Amino acid sequence: VKNRSFYLWVGIALGALGILFPHVLPRFQLRMVTEIVIVALLVMTWKMMLNEAGLFSFGHAVYFGLGAYASVLGWLHINGLSLVSGILLGGLVAGVVGFILSAFLVRMSGTYYALLTLAFNQLIWAIVWKWRDVTGGDDGLGKFLKPDLLGIPMGNPVNYYYLSLAIVAICLFLCWYFTKTPLGNVMKSIKSNEERTRFIGFNVGASKIIFLAMLAFFAGVSGALYAQFQEFIGASSIDLVMSTHIIFMAFIGGVGHFWGPLLGSGIYVYLSEYLSHYTDRWELIFGVVVVILVLLAPQGILGIAKKRK
Amino acid sequence: METFVIQFIHGLVYGLLLFLVASGLTLVFGMMSVLNIAHVSFYMLGAYLSYTMFRVVGNFWLALIICPVLVAFLGILMERLILRRVHAAGHVQEFVITFGILFALNEMIKWIWGSENLSVPVPSTLSGSLLIMGNIYPAYRLFILFFSLLILAFLAFILMRTRLGITVRAMVSDRDMASALGTNTPFVFMLVMGIGSWLAGLAGVIAAPFLGLSSGMGLDFLTDCFIVTVTGGLGSLWGAVVASFLIGQLSSFGILFIPRFAIVFGFLLMAVVLVIKPSGLFGEKA
Repeated sequence: VKNRSFYLWVGIALGALGILFPHVLPRFQLRMVTEIVIVALLVMTWKMMLNEAGLFSFGHAVYFGLGAYASVLGWLHINGLSLVSGILLGGLVAGVVGFILSAFLVRMSGTYYALLTLAFNQLIWAIVWKWRDVTGGDDGLGKFLKPDLLGIPMGNPVNYYYLSLAIVAICLFLCWYFTKTPLGNVMKSIKSNEERTRFIGFNVGASKIIFLAMLAFFAGVSGALYAQFQEFIGASSIDLVMSTHIIFMAFIGGVGHFWGPLLGSGIYVYLSEYLSHYTDRWELIFGVVVVILVLLAPQGILGIAKKRK
Repeated sequence: METFVIQFIHGLVYGLLLFLVASGLTLVFGMMSVLNIAHVSFYMLGAYLSYTMFRVVGNFWLALIICPVLVAFLGILMERLILRRVHAAGHVQEFVITFGILFALNEMIKWIWGSENLSVPVPSTLSGSLLIMGNIYPAYRLFILFFSLLILAFLAFILMRTRLGITVRAMVSDRDMASALGTNTPFVFMLVMGIGSWLAGLAGVIAAPFLGLSSGMGLDFLTDCFIVTVTGGLGSLWGAVVASFLIGQLSSFGILFIPRFAIVFGFLLMAVVLVIKPSGLFGEKA
């Protein structure tokens, strides 16, 4: 019980900080915080696949990228599509694709699961990359509308930050709430022993598919938010490098902790921003940081804190 | 018919190159059940080292002998200093750390050798070409073909006919049991890691004059190499042979018929195989 109130206070403190940020931080810092908030949702969906179901996704950029592309195509081609509907469209497309892919994926576990997600990632990336007429290929898609929300101009970074914060907060709450539902418990049971769960009478495959499709939906929402944030979307948002960065972020923060993805994406965004000012070799430093971190703290930064406590 | 034969040989050459890299990967996976993603960096490193070797000494054959050994040494070092330490943390952590190593090594290579494309000339003894059914075919590619077959035969001999091979096969099927029966598992593991990296480095050296050097060569190869190991079944050497052959032909004929979506075929094959048989063509455990 003490632990739960601790989580709650951390949540409230973070929420208060989040609302205060635009009033204390300079403009460019606010951009980074917006990015952190959006990416944190994406990393959270990856972490939940690993933590709640024991599935290591190697192609998580698929859902992120498809969500981004679907929403952007919506804003480009559907007249009068509102901001929130566009974001929901991105989430839905990612969720449906997640549903279809999961039908194949649920038969695998462990390394095979990871590698099949990699194969799907490459397959979908190749299609997006080559299908120039629709996706713009290497050039990507830009110059799409940023519709106002209820008369509030979203071109203002502060307003867009608040919108992202609100949507991500709702999604994170739903993610947390999911772990408390009966289906969430079934997932935990599958993670600890899949065969027994099946013998008890649960439909393991269907549970996994629903779970994965739900997380794909949230990852798609994150992608759509990101596309509007960058006002551009390119094939690099759906490639393997993106997928590996998601994994790195999750591991830096710590996969065993609820707030790990937020910390991980925060460190990642700041590190990449500042290191790229000083050196072109930030990917090298990043690789070394990951190696050292996994060597010294296999459970991530929040994992160390947890052990001390 | 002539184009068919030429494309077939072409696919065979590429497939065998894939096999050299994939065989090391699959052996290490069979023992440790961890996919060493940094394996393709060793391939890349072999190629770049041979470039430097060629610039300094000017002899391809010397590079062919020395560079893979250097790469093997690095592989052993990586196993000793890094992989062995994270083993207790679990497979996921091991998997992630090889990722970090891949990133670091690739960037290091970019740093040392620059990111523009480089090329290594074909050794003068093999720079000619042969006539195959009226078509001119570069001799060097045929050299890759025969050299890889030689290595394959050598590997098969070691695995099937020597005591070391029996130990390795025992460890692939049950590591703990082999260890309990008195095998010095850490030593055998180090040896296999060394041989695997050596093969990757070797493939890099012989691929350098054929495919050229670029900062993306590792990642390009990574995907094909993974398709091979997974389609064939992780840990299965014969699976790797069959799958490399298939992928080589698929990419060769794919480019001939549907060039635009040639890269998709490999993934399609892998996805289809895994959906029908989740453990791959020759894999045992899913």
